[in-house]
Amino acid sequence: MSDIDYKDRGSLLNPLKSWAFFGRPPVTEPLEPRAASANYRGFHVNDWEKCVGCSTCQKVCDNAAITMVRIPGLPVDPVKGVRDERPAIDYGRCCWCGLCVDICPTGSLALSREYVHTCTEEQISSYFVLPDSSGMHGKPYGLGWAKTADADLVDLERQAMRELEPEQRIGNFAEIVAGYDDQQALLEASRCVQCGMCHDACPTHMHAPEYIRAIWQGQIEEAVHLIYETNPFAHVCGRVCTRRCETACSIGKRGEPIAIRWLKRYAMDAVPHERIKQIAAAGKATTASGRRVAIVGAGPAGLTAAFDLAKKGHAVTVFEALAQPGGMTRWGIPEYRLPYDRIDRDIDVIRSVGVDIRCNVRIGQDISLEQLRDGHDAVLIALGLQQGRQTRIPHSEHEKVFRAVDLLNKITAGEPFELPHCAVVIGGGNVAMDIARSLARMQKQQYGQVDVVVTALEDQQHFMADPDEIKEALEEGIVIRDNCGPQGCEISAGGKLIGLKTWKVLSIFDQHNRFAPSYDPAGETIHACDTVIEAIGQFSDTSLLGDALTESLEWNRGRLKIDAAGRTSESWLWAAGDMVNGPDVVTAVADGHRVAASIHAAMAVMEKTKPV
Amino acid sequence: MRPENYPSVSQPPSNEFELFYGPNHPGIEGNYALKVRVHGDEVTSARADGGYLHRGFEKLMEGRLWIQNIALVPRICVPDPVPMEVCYSLAVEELGGIEVPLRAQWIRVMQLELSRIAAHLFFFGGHAATTGMYTPMFWGITDRDLILDLFEELSGGRVYHIYNIPGGVRRDLPPGYLERVSKTLDYLESRLPDYDNLLFTNKVFVHRATGIGAMTQEQALDWGVTGPNLRATGLAFDVRRDDPYLVYDQLDFDIPVEAAGDAWARSLVRRSELKESLRILRQVVAKLPHIDGAIRAPIPNPLAWNLPAGDVYTRVESSKGELAYYVVSNGGDKPYRVHVRGPSAMHAVQVLEHLATGARIEDVAQIMFSLDACPPEVDR
Amino acid sequence: MKLTTATPNNVSASLEFLLQEIPGLRTKWAGPRRLRVDLSAETLPALLALLKGRAGYVHLSAISCVDWPEQSEFELVYHLWSYELNVLVKAHIRIPRDPGVYLSVYDLYHPAAFFERDIHEMFGLYFEGSPDMGKFILTEWDGPPPMRKEFDSEAWVMNQFEWQDYRPDWLAEIEARGGGITTRPQDIRKDGKP
Repeated sequence: MSDIDYKDRGSLLNPLKSWAFFGRPPVTEPLEPRAASANYRGFHVNDWEKCVGCSTCQKVCDNAAITMVRIPGLPVDPVKGVRDERPAIDYGRCCWCGLCVDICPTGSLALSREYVHTCTEEQISSYFVLPDSSGMHGKPYGLGWAKTADADLVDLERQAMRELEPEQRIGNFAEIVAGYDDQQALLEASRCVQCGMCHDACPTHMHAPEYIRAIWQGQIEEAVHLIYETNPFAHVCGRVCTRRCETACSIGKRGEPIAIRWLKRYAMDAVPHERIKQIAAAGKATTASGRRVAIVGAGPAGLTAAFDLAKKGHAVTVFEALAQPGGMTRWGIPEYRLPYDRIDRDIDVIRSVGVDIRCNVRIGQDISLEQLRDGHDAVLIALGLQQGRQTRIPHSEHEKVFRAVDLLNKITAGEPFELPHCAVVIGGGNVAMDIARSLARMQKQQYGQVDVVVTALEDQQHFMADPDEIKEALEEGIVIRDNCGPQGCEISAGGKLIGLKTWKVLSIFDQHNRFAPSYDPAGETIHACDTVIEAIGQFSDTSLLGDALTESLEWNRGRLKIDAAGRTSESWLWAAGDMVNGPDVVTAVADGHRVAASIHAAMAVMEKTKPV
Repeated sequence: MRPENYPSVSQPPSNEFELFYGPNHPGIEGNYALKVRVHGDEVTSARADGGYLHRGFEKLMEGRLWIQNIALVPRICVPDPVPMEVCYSLAVEELGGIEVPLRAQWIRVMQLELSRIAAHLFFFGGHAATTGMYTPMFWGITDRDLILDLFEELSGGRVYHIYNIPGGVRRDLPPGYLERVSKTLDYLESRLPDYDNLLFTNKVFVHRATGIGAMTQEQALDWGVTGPNLRATGLAFDVRRDDPYLVYDQLDFDIPVEAAGDAWARSLVRRSELKESLRILRQVVAKLPHIDGAIRAPIPNPLAWNLPAGDVYTRVESSKGELAYYVVSNGGDKPYRVHVRGPSAMHAVQVLEHLATGARIEDVAQIMFSLDACPPEVDR
Repeated sequence: MKLTTATPNNVSASLEFLLQEIPGLRTKWAGPRRLRVDLSAETLPALLALLKGRAGYVHLSAISCVDWPEQSEFELVYHLWSYELNVLVKAHIRIPRDPGVYLSVYDLYHPAAFFERDIHEMFGLYFEGSPDMGKFILTEWDGPPPMRKEFDSEAWVMNQFEWQDYRPDWLAEIEARGGGITTRPQDIRKDGKP
């Protein structure tokens, strides 16, 4: 088979033919360093502008060659998911495999086209390098191995969430989001690189990396346990959390962040309710402290504090003015985003650790705050923001001008009201979307068609509302008119509300960045309607404090003054939640934990000074 | 073994010597030793002594994520690293049920054959050098470097390519790459007459290699010989054809055999194989532009990737013979066990011991190299 | 030259038929050329003799050992190849970890000498009748057989060697400004979490 026969003995003359090589010009290579190939895996180059210090490179490094170094002066922003840390490379360990480059979530890492680094023994520290964009020896060899789309080891796309189509959902209040199934949850959880940016960004510092890892490992009960360590509003936050974690997520720097909220929801939905109650009760004090705490307001802040304090063994009573607990999660958020039975489950868990919730008790009317003080060792007020702000534009006192929170309240309570045929909403936040989308559903049910207009000062890109809310509202037939400044309600000769007059907004803030919108009267629009709804924010009604207490408490620009732990100037009174710290569920939960810790600490001090 | 721990040389009869052949000798690629007892010029017994390159790869792999091991496996055979990468990747893919895109399979074949040529060029040089001819060695190393240039361009690394990854390969071909491969193939083909003149039709080399380290086919099968060494005893077996992987069943190539089973036959087989590899590469270069698509199947986040429990034995034909990986998963994110079956584990130990015994001392180096054993495959 | 060419179908049928001679044996095809056989340790020599004598299984590709401390067992896998049938047979047996003794198959397959010596060295499993159970790779090692699961090589390395202590100027400068190393690689080695 070979073209040389095994038996061919060759010739002594054949090698002499190689003498011909003496006639050839020699190959000469220049002494200058040569740049390596365009793909070369040389020394690390790190773009510090892009790098967020997530340390994923360190986790994938098979040789333990990467050390994270904190560098003072670099930007730090937990909310955006930026740390002042950068990777340093030990070239005594690095094997130049480039996995760090392929997995880098931000794409800041690359390898250079430089071949050589060497040194004497005394200079051994030159093997430990903090790479930046200038390259190993500050010489411009250029980038070699760098991130490419088809070699990226980061999965940039999240598992698609099954949702009701607009036509399926518009005529009812059925929940839109279906939730992940087991396989989707596992795949979504597997995308996480465990950088912990979510933990840092979360107001209540949920152990998100840990419970995501637990979900990936199929240990769902462990995930629930980790969730309950920081958040008793687990069902609620699994559905309507403002999810700052996802804003901070490293994967979100180039792709879609991990669906942390949906994973939490998955874990909560996957474990039976009775089992969740057992898990949540873990660590509850076995003996009662004998101390009594009264909490006013059964919203996220109040109930979180109640949950914590009850687990510490204190006797906690929560007073709620409305018929059912839950606060804004129940009375403000529509059912298509957060079904009431999920709130009921969270509250049932909180009750199961021993919290006594009394509804339909209005403090200040049924019982005075002083009575509470006298019967308890500490009192916490967590009233929330239940009153809608008014625009106070001309004719806004008309009976067909409503506040969004009042209408949302009525919808939850099932109270009848005259459903507008044609409504205009003022405001571009989530509450505006909630009322607009709720009304649209009811209009579809009762009138067969949707006629809701949302007007707001901002342009649509800068609405306060969640982008998903805006997208879904548009899908459901709601009209959004942005850059509209309300100037007055139009009233007919017969005294009927017939429209809202707006001017085009030129700017919202003045040069000192104060809220001072300016308008162009030429851009006047009359939005015809039979009802105007104001959704421009809420405030807290503190009248329950009574005159004497209002007088003796310290205030700060109309807001109750509290210390960092939530205690007011009266040593027995704490305040928490939206009324002092705004503006969302998870912040209120964080507040509840903080204030509970403060109350618990105060109890311990009392233990020494005042007998039970 | 450290020199101070060498066993004391027993007092031999005055006409017998015990020699420590190695552990760093051009007779083999890497650190390896042969303890030989010589009577005059004749070797009366030989014992292989390994372990100089033991780095506990198999144990290390149990502590690393599935994907992290791709940086480790090419180090198990420095002169021919691609089969290591591919064989490990094939095992992970089989365990995970991953379908490798066609384009990646063709790119893998291209690398495998380039790596085989590089290894065989290295072999020509080495085999010539053990007979005292150093020019073919310089040529072999120089021409191999042209292939390393191609690897550098493709993978970013000259020796440790770390280019194959479970699911496919890590980068697509750079623009114009196949033309440069083609040019290198042309050049290498044009060099074959030079090698022939200096080596394969050189009466001195032919005489030096003929009859040296000969084994029969029966002995070869009995000793577990595989690859070119087995084919040099007349058995036309090649994993690429008889247990095909990747797209080898779509390629046209022959399996060169020789009957004599000696060093000369082994050299001739490799020379013919190099030509077959050139032939395969021509087909790949012609075919690859027509195969579009992804270069890697989607794989999960490497930091959170469990493979289903199971075990798999994958084999490829490396330049040295049958290379196999036995990989066991217990459902975790790391291998539970990896066993590397390097062809050299046979060739460098019992085959070498058998062939060296009875040989003349000046032929031992040639016997060692003609088996083309790679000590890190033995030591792992 | 090539001995025979067999098509996968009649090969699998005839192999299955042949293997019926061994009692208590379970077979599972994992592909057209991959047959997994599970059997008891006592019957393995009979299987090997049968395969070698009647099906052309002259090539022992490898013997792999897997440690299963939770079951207190070693798994031995004999990878066999027939140049006539072109089918790989993987024969799996389990033997008790203690005392960890098994029979050598050297009399049937000479390559077993290397694999058995390697397994003895790495797992501490003794093969009766193997020609050489002496050390080969770990000549300087007096510790436990390192491939056993209970041997933690990383802990041994951490204990045995120092991490390189680098003192580069850039680090001194950062430390002077109040920064410095936050997470060293060794901090995350065990559980993947700082």
